[in-house]
Amino acid sequence: MDYQAIRAAVEQPLLNAFNALSPAVPVFFDNITAAPKNTTTEYVRVNLTFGITNEPTLTGSVDYARGALVVQVFTEKGQGPARNQTLLNTAVNVLETLNATAKTGSGVFFRVSEIKGPVFAANETSPHFIGRIDTGYKATVLS
Amino acid sequence: MAPRRRRRSKDFLDIANSLRRDVDESVVTALRQAAVQIMNELADAGPGYSGEFSSAWYAVPPGGSPGSNRSTGRVYGYGDESDVKYDLRNVPKSKFKKLKKSTYYEIVNGMDYAPQALDLEPGEFVQPEDDPLKDPVNRGERTGDFRYEVVGNEPEGAVSTAKANWYNTYSSGGALSKSFEQGVKLGFRQAAKSRGGGFR
Repeated sequence: MDYQAIRAAVEQPLLNAFNALSPAVPVFFDNITAAPKNTTTEYVRVNLTFGITNEPTLTGSVDYARGALVVQVFTEKGQGPARNQTLLNTAVNVLETLNATAKTGSGVFFRVSEIKGPVFAANETSPHFIGRIDTGYKATVLS
Repeated sequence: MAPRRRRRSKDFLDIANSLRRDVDESVVTALRQAAVQIMNELADAGPGYSGEFSSAWYAVPPGGSPGSNRSTGRVYGYGDESDVKYDLRNVPKSKFKKLKKSTYYEIVNGMDYAPQALDLEPGEFVQPEDDPLKDPVNRGERTGDFRYEVVGNEPEGAVSTAKANWYNTYSSGGALSKSFEQGVKLGFRQAAKSRGGGFR
């Protein structure tokens, strides 16, 4: 099992997509403390968790993992949802592209299930408006 | 119709009705058992500071309201810290009446801070003086407005007693569907034993 390859299969395309925006939007992954508390700068947080590994399947594949992916977009509070939704679009487009990618003979075959959200939240203490999508995924390490 | 044929037809209807009742009862037991299994696993996977949140899982029909916490000072679930677990009494049969094809049930938590405890929404966290019932997964400095945003691995400070995004991991990472499957199997077995036959 190559957990790092699974993680990279979704994190790298998300990073590339947000880096390609103008201006680029910072993306923080697991075990990286996000932007300093109370900063108003917009950013994206991506959390990937692993659930069940190598669940017996009819396909006989043993390098198989399931888990959850959470993408949270932090934009300035009090400015409406437009910017937040634009950034969420970027994330959803990446996931849709991943789902449309054909299976190859090597690498990681990554598929997300239905995407829940977006849901939005803002609390009194945080300077951000937070948009969130989450989904489950299945990944098979090929070769 | 001849009397003998009429009697046979009535016997057949009786058997069919009896079978339908047995199947309905087995399905209800299976669903209740699956709910119990899932509620215990949610209590295990989730945070446990005072024990209130872990004791506030309910299986409710659509539109039904959950209750509040069943206890304080005890952690529900199967885990090492658990001193009590959910059982069929926590999922009353009366709530599973009138099953139809499209009927569904929701497993929800009745605490008003559930969205924050489920890591779905940010919140404002206050550190109680008492130690948590569950072992912390991290303790130290709070770095953000989500429940799990605690870093440091310090002996004191803000506490997180469940892994980040524990609920999403449980519900989307395969554990939920596995628990449901196990619960249903157990439920059908129990239903069969209680009647002394069938569905073994």
